[in-house]
Amino acid sequence: MKTGIQSWLDERFGLSIITKFLKEKTVPQHKHSIWYYTGSAILIFFTIQIITGFMLVFYYKPTLEGANESVARIMTEVPLGWIIRSVHSWASSFMIAFVFIHLLSTWLTKSYRNPRELTWMSGVFLLVVTLLSGFTGYLLPWDDLSLSATKVGTDIPSSIPLVGVWVTKFLRGGEDVTGDTLTRFFGFHVSIIPVFMFILLGVHIYLIQKQGMSLPLSAEAKKEKVREIPFWPNFVYREMIVWLLLLGILFSLAIFFPPSLDKAADLMAPAPEGIKPEWYFLFLFQTLKIFPANIFFLPGDTLAVFLILVVGIMFFFLPLIDNKPAERKGRIITVIALVVIGYAVVMTVWSLL
Amino acid sequence: MRLRGKKFLGLFLLVIFFLSFFILEFNFAQQVTQEEQEEIIQAKEDQEKIIPSPQNIKESTGIYVFVAWMWIAIFVLIYILRLKIREVDRLLKLRFLSAKKK
Repeated sequence: MKTGIQSWLDERFGLSIITKFLKEKTVPQHKHSIWYYTGSAILIFFTIQIITGFMLVFYYKPTLEGANESVARIMTEVPLGWIIRSVHSWASSFMIAFVFIHLLSTWLTKSYRNPRELTWMSGVFLLVVTLLSGFTGYLLPWDDLSLSATKVGTDIPSSIPLVGVWVTKFLRGGEDVTGDTLTRFFGFHVSIIPVFMFILLGVHIYLIQKQGMSLPLSAEAKKEKVREIPFWPNFVYREMIVWLLLLGILFSLAIFFPPSLDKAADLMAPAPEGIKPEWYFLFLFQTLKIFPANIFFLPGDTLAVFLILVVGIMFFFLPLIDNKPAERKGRIITVIALVVIGYAVVMTVWSLL
Repeated sequence: MRLRGKKFLGLFLLVIFFLSFFILEFNFAQQVTQEEQEEIIQAKEDQEKIIPSPQNIKESTGIYVFVAWMWIAIFVLIYILRLKIREVDRLLKLRFLSAKKK
């Protein structure tokens, strides 16, 4: 039974197509179903990022003189400002963690197989964009640590032959990290990256709806009919429980462990000791660190960046490489996936020690 | 007597001279240990670092009350959602069974 407003909106927007689709949509139930909840968790954190980001942008000044001062003001003068900043910071970490979990679960359950190759590829793009969002946001408080981490981070592309130096210059808006870099990173963080993220999210979600929820390879191999539940309301109610728990954990962490703010960065000061990037870049940071200066007459950092790029490209084209997931080749790729996860964990822990 | 007086004066001035290092805090003679130096630097750094936290007892009480209410609300909502899930799953099962009978 439609109300007057519902009919009015339906006549203009054709909403009944969407509601009909959601009523008919089903979700398979099996032992790997838990991974289905990670996708909507990412959306929840993304929404929180947008809302808290809007609040912070009212007070933030992306200038050399005003950046650190405005963040300090948000934390000390603006009512509940420190909680909003803390929620923004923690939500970004949660979002990146869930993007990693979402992608790795897709890798292990081989859900990228035919016909879901483009869903995987758009997901890898989303991972890159999310990491870029974290990287650009890290500089905005403009303290010693964020300045030094950005110097190190923007210096990495310069090892790439031919285009590397240009990429570094483009990111920094000049030869070195300055006020121009801050303005540029602010632009990336609040306008360019979110636009790309919305487009990619739109494509990703459309592809998921078009192809339907994938079954893990192990469930498909049994050739038994898998139990399905309706998306609305059976699955959504279950998702709501996960959202509530995650929101509770997020707010509790944001309140009890808020990020601090160091004094304003000094462009002339030497880099402080023990600079480390955010946790999600630690495995890459440690990989670059352990490479020797020269390997077979080649610069070690160039070789490391080259290897990371090759692995990244292979990761992007994984559905095409792992085109026979049920066979021996597919099993080898699963072992490689586990080794990569183990490597990332070991490198992260090593970097923290 | 006068000599004794001079000796006394000399001794008095000497005592004052040594005491002055402690009383008047003449910095030129003050030896700062490595640990003290680090403490001074740390204190200076702490002054410049903003660690957000509730400013007074009213604010901190408000925050603890908010967190407590938030978790109570979450557990109540989860309980309601679990009941709802049980209900919709039962309805689904009934519909499935009635469809099978047909």
